[in-house]
Amino acid sequence: MTTELLIENVSKAFPGVQALNKVNLTLTGGTVHALLGENGAGKSTLIKIITGVYRADSGTLKTNGEVKFFESPVEATHAGIAVVHQERNLIPDFSVEENITLHNPPIRFGIVDRVKRKELAQKALETLGFEINLNEKIKNLSVAQMQLVEIAKALVTNAQIILLDEPTASITGAETVKLFDVIRRLKATGTAILFVSHKLEEVYEICDIVTVLRDGESVLESKALSEYPQGEVVDLMVGRHLADRKVELREIDRTTTPVFELRNISTALGHSNTSLKLSKGEVLGMYGLVGAGRSELARTVLGLHGITGGEIFLDGQLIHIKSLRDALHKYKIGYVTENRKEEGLFLDFPVRKNISVTILSRLLRRLGVINRSQEDEVATKYVDRLGIKVVNNDQLAGTLSGGNQQKVSVAKWLAAETEILIIDEPTVGVDVRTKAAFHELILELANEGLSIILISSDLAEIIAIADRILVMRNYELVADFPNTKDYPTMSRSIMTSIHS
Amino acid sequence: MSVASKAKRVISDQRVILLALTVVLFLFFGFKNSAFFNTDFVLYPLLRDGAVLTVIGLAQLCALSIGHLNLAVGRMAAVAALAAGSAYQYLHFSLIPGVIVGLLAGSILGAVTGLIIVKSQVNAFIVTLAMDFALLGFVTFIYVSFTGATAAFITKPKGMDYWRNTSLHQYCIAKLCGPSVFPMMLIPSIIALALVGFLFARTKLGRELLATGSNLRAAKLSGIPVDRRVIIAHTFSGLLAALAGVMLAFTNGSFTAAIGSQFMLPSFLGPVLGGTLLVGGSVAVLGTFIGTMLTLVIRQGLSVQGIGLETLNIALGLVLLTALSLGQIQKMLVSLRMRGRG
Amino acid sequence: MLKTFFQHRMTELSLTIIFIIGFGILVATSHGILLHRNSLQGFLTYLAVPIVIGMAQMVVLCIGQMNLAVGAMGGVSSGVMAVLMAQHHYPIWLALLIGFLVATGVGAINGALVVLTQLNGFIITLGTMTILLGFQYRLVRSFTIDGYPISLPNFGAKSVLGFPLILMIAIATSVLLSLFFSRTATGRRVLATGGNALAARLSGVSNNRSVLIAHTLSGALVGVASIITIASLPGINRSIGGDWMLSSFAAPIIGGVLMAGGTVAVYGTIVAAGVVRLVDIARAQYSLDPSIVSLTVGVVVLSTVALSEWRRRRSERAREGMKVSR
Repeated sequence: MTTELLIENVSKAFPGVQALNKVNLTLTGGTVHALLGENGAGKSTLIKIITGVYRADSGTLKTNGEVKFFESPVEATHAGIAVVHQERNLIPDFSVEENITLHNPPIRFGIVDRVKRKELAQKALETLGFEINLNEKIKNLSVAQMQLVEIAKALVTNAQIILLDEPTASITGAETVKLFDVIRRLKATGTAILFVSHKLEEVYEICDIVTVLRDGESVLESKALSEYPQGEVVDLMVGRHLADRKVELREIDRTTTPVFELRNISTALGHSNTSLKLSKGEVLGMYGLVGAGRSELARTVLGLHGITGGEIFLDGQLIHIKSLRDALHKYKIGYVTENRKEEGLFLDFPVRKNISVTILSRLLRRLGVINRSQEDEVATKYVDRLGIKVVNNDQLAGTLSGGNQQKVSVAKWLAAETEILIIDEPTVGVDVRTKAAFHELILELANEGLSIILISSDLAEIIAIADRILVMRNYELVADFPNTKDYPTMSRSIMTSIHS
Repeated sequence: MSVASKAKRVISDQRVILLALTVVLFLFFGFKNSAFFNTDFVLYPLLRDGAVLTVIGLAQLCALSIGHLNLAVGRMAAVAALAAGSAYQYLHFSLIPGVIVGLLAGSILGAVTGLIIVKSQVNAFIVTLAMDFALLGFVTFIYVSFTGATAAFITKPKGMDYWRNTSLHQYCIAKLCGPSVFPMMLIPSIIALALVGFLFARTKLGRELLATGSNLRAAKLSGIPVDRRVIIAHTFSGLLAALAGVMLAFTNGSFTAAIGSQFMLPSFLGPVLGGTLLVGGSVAVLGTFIGTMLTLVIRQGLSVQGIGLETLNIALGLVLLTALSLGQIQKMLVSLRMRGRG
Repeated sequence: MLKTFFQHRMTELSLTIIFIIGFGILVATSHGILLHRNSLQGFLTYLAVPIVIGMAQMVVLCIGQMNLAVGAMGGVSSGVMAVLMAQHHYPIWLALLIGFLVATGVGAINGALVVLTQLNGFIITLGTMTILLGFQYRLVRSFTIDGYPISLPNFGAKSVLGFPLILMIAIATSVLLSLFFSRTATGRRVLATGGNALAARLSGVSNNRSVLIAHTLSGALVGVASIITIASLPGINRSIGGDWMLSSFAAPIIGGVLMAGGTVAVYGTIVAAGVVRLVDIARAQYSLDPSIVSLTVGVVVLSTVALSEWRRRRSERAREGMKVSR
């Protein structure tokens, strides 16, 4: 009896966003099934439904013939489904052996059966062909080793269906080879494997079947990967219709001194000899996969981590950025962070206070008192400017929709009248229409003279609005070319440079 | 009605409920035993104690504003009293300079605490807990070495008795005199309330402190110098603890090592009942005063009934736990409603 | 191989060395008096309670919380035992059992409140501590209750081969606790909650249950400490438990238990309790001020925590560097 996971017409909506719309996927034992899609396409929502974290609104989930949506991760595990998340979920002070058997440790009369436990862990590791000291504490392992422990953990639960979410996000080279060996072994035992990844080259190396999600819909359903060349798959991911969009190339004056320049920057985090130039009014896109080092570069440049070499120039002048405060107040550089909820907004503050937080010094009266009416004026100005939908300026930021929240986090930098803005993954988890509106906003700002570095893992987004595209891989800049805004050619060039 | 205005209603409701409760209990205790309304023996001391405890509540509030706890408020108060007391005894300082010495001592302690927290990146809880124990030893040691068995500085500066015993009744305009129930000790308390309230409601510094408490990472990434703000919050905490310590010493009439030893619980009761969040980002200054008065009314009321100290403690502990449980339930309801939005 | 064994146990090793050296110094400067039967007995006897209350705090620290009510729980528990025996003439075993159950019950209530309010044990136990202090006073007033059957203090004074019986009870309890955490499924689950609550939950561990168990166990251990107290002290008054809080934290923290949760260190806690007792003896021997003890312990605790925090961050940064393989 072959293992089978059937997803039929599954839909899931969140307030304001249709995350999944009648998605179909057939996962069969003995195959490695790629689940592809841009950020926000619905992949993680689908995985959460399979593993019982969310409940679908409609559709069916059939696991080995049994029709049932799981109410909790524990239920899904009992049904033989295991997921290896991007983030590690291990107990740092427990040993490899204990973590592997964490889900269902062998117990006799309340006491842990160490002999049996070792057996189970050993067996799992043997199946994987992975050698490691069973007594080593997890916190002493490398990221790659931890990942393999997680897979071993999945095996011990007798999972016949294993979901791997971006398994190669934080590993490279030899470790990836080892992982793929393990995947092939699992495949040979009849396990069904779902492989979620952005790295197309690897997908083509290891996967047999492919499903592509775009904007919550399954645009390619469980087809043989061999029948679809990379270019076509990319097209499906980003959507053909976007390729027909009007191509407007902006005129950027690159003859004058760049407004911002990095020369041979090396960082404590691993960048070395990274250089880039940003011209006035330019939108410079930085493409790369998660973990490529782009946000890390931005943060280092802004003073949050150590620069070990190289120089930064602002309008041709050498500068030293000591802290983010420095970057903002002295050099007028702003940073719209990646995680708006955790790092960009004060959720229990009203919109007004969120927008004014960067310019408080400018709103002062005597004795350090904030000029309320001035604050209100500024807030209203940017709320209108960005089209933020609020009842009034006192609405709490936590009650806004994702798109509006994102606008608020941009508003505070506009209020600070920054001249250079680094925007990090602005439209993650935002629906298509809002995305498009946001892109228009970025272009407007650039046309008004703001110079923007746009960090994004969304290929369509970068190609749509960047004037020039940098590609980063493994903390290294591997490509730097002008953007013709023609999807087929640009996406291919970018993909090639990522995988070369 | 939108969630925002509903939430606002809830918060202001809390203070109103608290005030109503205080008034009701006040009247209740008075009816049960008219001795409760005795100005000299019950009400005046009640308000005087309220003055001191409000200030210690404000000290804790400053730490809570950035989401930290200051477990050493009691000892900081003790050190300040010790500093002031020794200034009076050995340096023969007059009233105000002695007070300033005490306030300085508290501020320095607070600043040092803040500095340790920032540099070592250790949890404020642990730093102030250890500070509390270290200071406990220090204070006792100093008192005993300098004054031997008495363990107290007994030099009273001129004017101390005035603050201790006088009420507004001394001040008359024409034939109208102030209420004799209003102790002069309330005045520094009211000033502290006004200043702290002003700080958090209107100033840039206050806003930045609350932002640091609301979301540390976002504050840092918005250009707020969070390290400096943490140090300032703890300095204020130390300063206010010092004020409370000196006020208590004046109330007692002497400077002993025991000052501040009973401050820990009240320092939390006032703010928590008043609506200040333990996690930071939101403070209720006036609520601290009302919360403190409520607990004192309960305490004095029960004490007049002849109920002993022990039952008081039980009652106060129960009040705290109930307030916390209700507060959590309230928060859960609000967040459930908010979760409806993406 | 011996080298790696010790490498992972630096804290225990250094503490043991400190204890041996400290003990040696005290013996030397007391001209050997310390080794005399009575003083040695006294030293060992008074080790028992700090060890057990150190355990009581440790079980709560290991899930990342704290129990401020340790002293108050001990005071009420021993007060109940004393009152039942002296004033109501309950048989010893029953009085001790009831006192023990009271402490355990309060622990369970603490745990339940923490789960209900989802707040940290600190503020909850602050509340219960206040309530219990009230009860303690009500129970014992300003008297010293000592009218219980002579067999109890006799038991407390007993020793086997020079080792006081109550110390052996304390050590036996610690050993049982150690086995609980290292061998039983429940113990491992509690540690899993402390180590990574999210991962634990995803693996089917109930974090709420772990919190409840940890606090209840803390209460039970306080109950044991109360039994030891009542057996070894001449009488019970309202000051019992007053100085328990500091020692209950000092021993585990110095002994290597991380405040973040996820680890236990039974041996370390025992030796640390011993070291703290040595400081006390030194104080008496050199006629130092008792406040010095507080001061020293406070400073040591702070340094220990700061040091472990610094070490943790250093290894975190080292691992971050590992992420980028070139």
